[in-house]
Amino acid sequence: MRMTKLPEIHIKAVNLAKRVNVSEGSLTILHDISLTINQGETVAIVGASGSGKSTLLSLLAGLDVPSAGEVFLTGQPLHSLSEDDRAGIRAAHVGFVFQSFLLLPSLTAIENITLPAELAGDKQARQRALTLLKQVGLQDRADFYPAQLSGGEQQRVAIARAFITQPAILFADEPSANLDATTGQRIEDLLFELNQQQGTTLVLVTHNAELAARCQRQLKMQAGRFVDTEEPAHVG
Amino acid sequence: MWASIAWRLFWRELKRGELWVIAFALFLAVFSVVSLSGITQTVRVALEQRSAQFIAADRVLGSSQPFNPEIIRLAQQQTLQVAQQMQFDSMLFSAQQMQLATIKAVDTAYPLRGELVLHQSDNVLSGELGSLTPGQIWVEPRLLGLLEVSIGDDIELGSSRLQVAGVIVNEPDAPLSVFGGSPRVIMHIADVAATGIVQPGSRISYRYLFAGGNAELDRFATEVTPLMSVHERWRNRDRQTAVGGALERAERFLLLAGLLGIVLAACAAAVAASRYSQRHAQAVAIIKALGATTAQVRRIYSSHLMLVVLFSLGLGLLLGQVTLLGVESAIVLYVGDFRPEFSLRPIWLGSLTCILCALLFAARPLWQLTITPAIQVLKQPVQQLAFDRWQFITGAVAVFGLMWLFSGEWLISIGLFLVCGVFVGALLGIAALMVKAAKPVAAGQSSAGKLALANLRRRLWANSFQLITFSLALFLALLLYFVRAELIGQWQQQIPEGAPNHFLVNVSEAQRSQLADFAKAHQLQSEPFYPVVRGRLVQVNQEQMRDEATKEDRTEQRTGVGRELNLTWLSTLPTANKILSGNWFSTESRGEVSVEQELAERLGLKLDDQVQFSIGGQMVSAKISSIRQVDWNSLQPNFYMILSPDLLKDFPASYITAFYIEPDRYQLVNQLARLMPTVTVLSVEAIIKQVQDIIAQVTVALSFILLIIILASALVLVAQVQATLEQREQELAILRTLGARYAFLRNALILEFTFLGALAGLFATVLAEVLLLTLQQRLFELPFSFHYALWWMGPLSGALLVSALGWWQLRRLLQVPGAVLIRRVLQG
Ligand SMILES: Nc1ncnc2c1ncn2[C@@H]1O[C@H](COP(=O)(O)OP(=O)(O)OP(=O)(O)O)[C@@H](O)[C@H]1O
Ligand SMILES: [Mg+2]
Repeated sequence: MRMTKLPEIHIKAVNLAKRVNVSEGSLTILHDISLTINQGETVAIVGASGSGKSTLLSLLAGLDVPSAGEVFLTGQPLHSLSEDDRAGIRAAHVGFVFQSFLLLPSLTAIENITLPAELAGDKQARQRALTLLKQVGLQDRADFYPAQLSGGEQQRVAIARAFITQPAILFADEPSANLDATTGQRIEDLLFELNQQQGTTLVLVTHNAELAARCQRQLKMQAGRFVDTEEPAHVG
Repeated sequence: MWASIAWRLFWRELKRGELWVIAFALFLAVFSVVSLSGITQTVRVALEQRSAQFIAADRVLGSSQPFNPEIIRLAQQQTLQVAQQMQFDSMLFSAQQMQLATIKAVDTAYPLRGELVLHQSDNVLSGELGSLTPGQIWVEPRLLGLLEVSIGDDIELGSSRLQVAGVIVNEPDAPLSVFGGSPRVIMHIADVAATGIVQPGSRISYRYLFAGGNAELDRFATEVTPLMSVHERWRNRDRQTAVGGALERAERFLLLAGLLGIVLAACAAAVAASRYSQRHAQAVAIIKALGATTAQVRRIYSSHLMLVVLFSLGLGLLLGQVTLLGVESAIVLYVGDFRPEFSLRPIWLGSLTCILCALLFAARPLWQLTITPAIQVLKQPVQQLAFDRWQFITGAVAVFGLMWLFSGEWLISIGLFLVCGVFVGALLGIAALMVKAAKPVAAGQSSAGKLALANLRRRLWANSFQLITFSLALFLALLLYFVRAELIGQWQQQIPEGAPNHFLVNVSEAQRSQLADFAKAHQLQSEPFYPVVRGRLVQVNQEQMRDEATKEDRTEQRTGVGRELNLTWLSTLPTANKILSGNWFSTESRGEVSVEQELAERLGLKLDDQVQFSIGGQMVSAKISSIRQVDWNSLQPNFYMILSPDLLKDFPASYITAFYIEPDRYQLVNQLARLMPTVTVLSVEAIIKQVQDIIAQVTVALSFILLIIILASALVLVAQVQATLEQREQELAILRTLGARYAFLRNALILEFTFLGALAGLFATVLAEVLLLTLQQRLFELPFSFHYALWWMGPLSGALLVSALGWWQLRRLLQVPGAVLIRRVLQG
């Protein structure tokens, strides 16, 4: 049914640039990035370390603002919104899986998962969190603190947390980089599974060619630019 | 929803320590303010109530005009108790003798405070209690001898005859003058009219006595002011003002000393709060990345601060009040007649202090925390322990605000603030120099000492603030310890154990040997006899004295200077006297006089002026060779004029002497009175006891403050060590991985803290010595002497305290197995 309509544009970036101040002056870490991502699409951003992937993701998610250019998320101009307005959009539409998990150490697994829902004022948070916890296979770890969980377990909690608000868009920054191959594989499966179930737009950063290949589209970055813009790359 | 998140985070955070440090710091602030201001308040109320007994009322209005019914009506309107009293000197006549006496006529309401004790006998120690009735007269025991009358006889006063009903045992508001005066008599005010003594122009002093609640008294005082003429004035409890003033100064001193403890505690709170904020920066970034707005984050973290404030405030107020109740019941036990007055001042002062500390020391770091941007999630958390500028400014504002709040004086606040600023500046400078001077440790050699020094150097660089707070904490503790010892020593010196508590006045030449025998027989320590000759100052530099200058009413209350002065001659300067200018008599001094400074000022007398006295009709001339300052609180016979011995030797003199009589031997006083009826015995026991009570109470308060300062100092140490906990954890993990042994790490740790403590102790010692020497000269007027004990106590206590606290804080870290430590560090 979705195919019958024109795909709705979910993320749009126009001539994005990011400059940072360093001791020697100003350094441009993103140059002239433009892209559009449609609803329900899965997109991989690949590239060498330091090429600017995380930076781009943070701009698309509205964690940071570009030095130049425009970003639209579900039609909202992130570049001209305040930090708090951007937070509101994240709360409503965005899920995030970070490179280094970023769980709150003083909250248990289940509390970490419910946190975004509670911030959004959701009363049913706990029920859904339990379901998600089961989905990621951690139902018996609900009351563990992050320090008591292994890296893979922490990342699964982080994924459950990302999905609790049923976000329209999920950003994942190297979700399996810190994990062994098998666990990494399970995490990735989980992401795509949830993407399929909830129709979530998935934007993920990865060094892993296999993972990138599972996405509908790949964007390759080098020194702050797209190499083959808007061209799906096929890696064998 | 944010509330449940806030609550969960708060609850988990309690385990981490920083919140406890903030809570304890705030608690300490509230508790110390409530109890200190409460205690001084209570002591003052107790003192006021006791001094009220000395004027037989809460307030006394004196007048030279007959009673104004309007004033009494106003007082009754305010539901005050009122008593009326008249006092005049008059001759009493018995069948055989006549005698000038001071007559006090009172109504039955008298006294409103304290107790009037009358005995229907000629004996102050036994006899049935009597009460005042018209037609009767009660007399001082020596008057019975002077008039040669016994109980039941009539005596004449003016044109009435009154019956001697008994003796006065205790008259609460009798003047305390070591020179005595005429014998005292009490009669009913209803009998005054019949005596015919009240004539236009007769010297009668009228007094209104009032008692009641403070609010009513104050309201009455403002209402009555427009009615008062030049003849009416409030009579101060002048005998108490010296003690009262001392207590007021004591309160200010205590609060300011306590304030330094509070500032220390607040610094600890600030350190803990900024540490807390830094640790939470990542969490805030995560929460924001997950979609929380700044306002939500602010609610979460301000609720943490609020919970801590509420907890500390509640507990501080509660324990403060409990302490206060304890003190009050102790005073009741000790003093007996004491009505505690509830006051809101300690409560609002404590609450205000707590809120001010929380807002200005802890709120800033938390505010900083909440503006952490979401993008921070992608960055490494930055470790920085230095105070930011705003924190420094708000902290300084808070300290100044508190100083002003406690002292109520701009000058003191500014002065103290500047002194503190200079100290911090000096410490900063020294710390910077020390760090610069420290040599880098040679690489490749590993000993615990080397590691300790290396750690220290690195941390000193990173944060000399730590050294400053340690030094300041130790400095305050040391300073207070020594000031306390010095204060107590000085007070106790003022009223040593066994200081004379009974003065004998009006002793004749013949009675001297009799008294000496009496003292010997009863093993009383006898004090020197001061000769007294009454004389009148008639000329200064050939100029006739204006009569008015030495008029009794000007000076009577304080010292008993009469129209005649009490003159004495002495060859040695009495202890409570200090020469301000000129020189004390030498053995060759002839025809010289030493004048008390206030009197000299009032009469315009200068050094080398020639003054002339008229003594028993003879003229005696003397040159002023010195001006003296007299400590009127010294409970010693004090004199305005002391003449060189050659001048007065040949005049008939009476003598003043004093005894210390133990409380269980007071019947000796009665024996003495019977043996020598013309001698007046004055007890200063009540005043001595009062001063001793105050000393005891202030001593307790000082010790209390010392305790608070030590606690606050320890708190600063704990907060500072906690602040470096994570950094140390990382270092330890690395060192453990590299194969360092437990004993090695432990020794290095202890050495590091010992050295740091000793260094801070040394700074503290130098500062404390400088300040103590200044205080010694300025405040205590003691000779210059170093505090040798300080020089070993300072560094030693610093080393011990800091190393013990550091060890206590970090020992768990050392005991964590290396693997666990590494895992913890790596996983953040
Ligand atoms: N705040 C900053 N200040 C200075 N340089 C920065 C800042 N943020 C990012 N950079 C630089 O920008 C470049 C891109 O960083 P980014 O984190 O986006 O890389 P990345 O592609 O995610 O790398 P990796 O695959 O290692 O995660 C890097 O060279 C980084 O050093
Ligand atoms: Mg990255």
